[in-house]
Amino acid sequence: MDEPRGNDEGANTGASALSALDRRRFLGLTAAGAGLLALRANGAPCSSLEPTPAALPGARKTKRVVLVAFAGGVRTRDTFGSPENVPNLKKLADEGVLYTRARTANLGHFGAALSIFTGVAEQRGIRENARGPYPTVFEYARKELGLAANDVWITTSGGAQQVNYAYGLHAEYGAAYGANTLDGEGVFNKEFKRVLETLGRPREMPKDEEAALKKLRASLAKGGEAGLNSAESAAQVERYILQELTRGTADLTGANAGDAKALRLARNLVSLFKPKLTAVVLQEADTAHGSYNGYVEVIRRNDAALGELVQALRDDRELATSTAVIVVPEFGRDRDLNSRRGLDHGDGSEDLSNVACLCWGPDFERGKVVQEAVQVVDVAPTVCELLGARAKLAKGKRLPGLFA
Amino acid sequence: MLTAVMALALLAFEPMSVRAGVPVVEGNAMRPSELLAPRLLRTLAMDALGRPPLESERAEWSTKSRAELVDALLATRAFWDHWKEEQLYYFLLLNNFRPKSDRVAAISAELAEGQLEVRAATHRIALSSSFDQRNPGADTFVTVVMEQLCGLEVKKNARELEIGKKVYDGADGTFLGASGKTQADLVRIAIQSPQFTRHFLAREYARYVHAKPDPKELATWAARFDADPKSFRGIVRDWLLSPAYDARVARGAPQENRLFVRALYVDLVGRAPTDEEAEPLREALDGLADPTPLRGVFARLLIDSDKVKLPKREELADAGAWIDGLFARLLGRAPSTEERATFVGSLAEPGCRTQTVVYAIVSGAEYARY
Repeated sequence: MDEPRGNDEGANTGASALSALDRRRFLGLTAAGAGLLALRANGAPCSSLEPTPAALPGARKTKRVVLVAFAGGVRTRDTFGSPENVPNLKKLADEGVLYTRARTANLGHFGAALSIFTGVAEQRGIRENARGPYPTVFEYARKELGLAANDVWITTSGGAQQVNYAYGLHAEYGAAYGANTLDGEGVFNKEFKRVLETLGRPREMPKDEEAALKKLRASLAKGGEAGLNSAESAAQVERYILQELTRGTADLTGANAGDAKALRLARNLVSLFKPKLTAVVLQEADTAHGSYNGYVEVIRRNDAALGELVQALRDDRELATSTAVIVVPEFGRDRDLNSRRGLDHGDGSEDLSNVACLCWGPDFERGKVVQEAVQVVDVAPTVCELLGARAKLAKGKRLPGLFA
Repeated sequence: MLTAVMALALLAFEPMSVRAGVPVVEGNAMRPSELLAPRLLRTLAMDALGRPPLESERAEWSTKSRAELVDALLATRAFWDHWKEEQLYYFLLLNNFRPKSDRVAAISAELAEGQLEVRAATHRIALSSSFDQRNPGADTFVTVVMEQLCGLEVKKNARELEIGKKVYDGADGTFLGASGKTQADLVRIAIQSPQFTRHFLAREYARYVHAKPDPKELATWAARFDADPKSFRGIVRDWLLSPAYDARVARGAPQENRLFVRALYVDLVGRAPTDEEAEPLREALDGLADPTPLRGVFARLLIDSDKVKLPKREELADAGAWIDGLFARLLGRAPSTEERATFVGSLAEPGCRTQTVVYAIVSGAEYARY
């Protein structure tokens, strides 16, 4: 069995073990699934069931979570197996915990990414534009912790379908506990800016008119379902969108423009609202179907944009000491190139069905590589537990060996 | 139990009763109460054309019976324009995937002229380069063909998926019971399959009636459709005249963003938006789990722009009548006594403009349903 070993000097802590691994050895580890062993920072094995002080809610420093679905189908061999592509992710891994064998299901991008947020792997139509039956991490967190809509955000890159990640159809949860969702490409683009500009800036509403409006609205018979936002948070979102349109997010271009916008929005949101839970869903890596090189370029650019997001966390004293970051693809890609010199996703290979899951935060082990098989659906219960909530319908369980 | 929403919807049909909005014709004459209620007229137009009636249309259509109106709506080119847009949205979710080919552009005109039927039109969409680009790679393409065209779950039909992937790559194979060896063959086979008919009619029924069809009725419609795909318009006619549609009107349904954008333009500007106006806004709204705040932003901007012509409150000869007209036009109902009193009273208060009144209505929860 080929596995990293530790020693007292720390030369073989997870971080340095990862650095020391050459690419072939690392891939061998991830693909062959060698060993169900988690290593402590000092190299000693540990049990996933071992209680730790940080596992107790009161003792935790983590108050916020940024969850990045590094989606679009990304193989580990093109990220941690090629660290030159992802220097920022590599740095986070050196300071956090890297699970090298997170099992996924090939449910199509939509279903697989949804499973990250629900903790339930469930077949969904690839182009299905509908909400799932299970609650999401956002709903668990908002309901159990009494969070406001602006405490929970999700920024996306993929348009209409991805707003379905915000909440599910479960009768005990739903829109009233959903996340505010912003699609970077949909909202912050030049065409939309132009439409708004042709109409002019919104007119400031005088106080007496505001009072009249309030009265009129109150008199109207109610209709429709309970909304995601309260009137107050809706007004905040309204203001935020108008401000963000002036910040240049709409002008981002390049191979990963949609992803870059999603990450930029998340960066601005964490600084502005300091949400308890911010999720980002990427997807541009799916360009791999037609071009392997284009796919690698997207990975590199997304790593750089993710680095900016993490830097914003590090630059804020409060966020730096209270925020956990979790990064995980929804699934990988095929082992071999297709006839277009691209990469599809459907061969059932280890490259497709095992991905790397990175966890970085104030309560986590540092520089640890966990080779024990875990599942992508373990992320949702882990996020909920970090925030002090419980993902009671999720099928996964807390990621093992995470807490220091 | 009568829910608040249902009660509200029924209120909209006053003075009609029993079967809301369905005129009872005795001889050739129709009593005033048999004319279309504003709410039903608005809902039918929204479902059939994807927008509320224009001012001129409302005047003309409100004198028709329901059956006459449905026939008139289904005979328009706008009906097929809307049908095509809905299919493109279903298959492609658009964004940058709007087909640019002349063949796709011609679909609605050919449907309106009876030169094309919906199965062939769907085939044309699924053969477009946009459909191919939206679904790259064998696994994704075959999965989408099975799911979107036939309503099949790939997990339960793993063998068909594997065969389809081989056919996609140019090998001979029997997919859904028919032989093929190209990507185009996959689409052809799927569209000619019995699964397509059932799935197509079920999702179209859900789009118009906002409910699942009864399996027996679905089988009847499928037989009719398979015998003659041009019967689709007649099938839709039956749906729009059915008791199930009455129930759909009473329940109401959330306005999708693409409908909201078109409704707002028609209601406020008096015309449907151009694609350049509508698409960026629809995409932006689709990018939000809760589009309410952005809908509000856009409504305010539009109302305060020079595109919307509203009278000044001083110019209103009869504020009550203006409020009545506004409710009928935007919500398809009369205001309640309390609403009317508050709205008329507010108009007399400092700060309240006619724009404020219109904004209160179009940014409300009721306007977001139809």
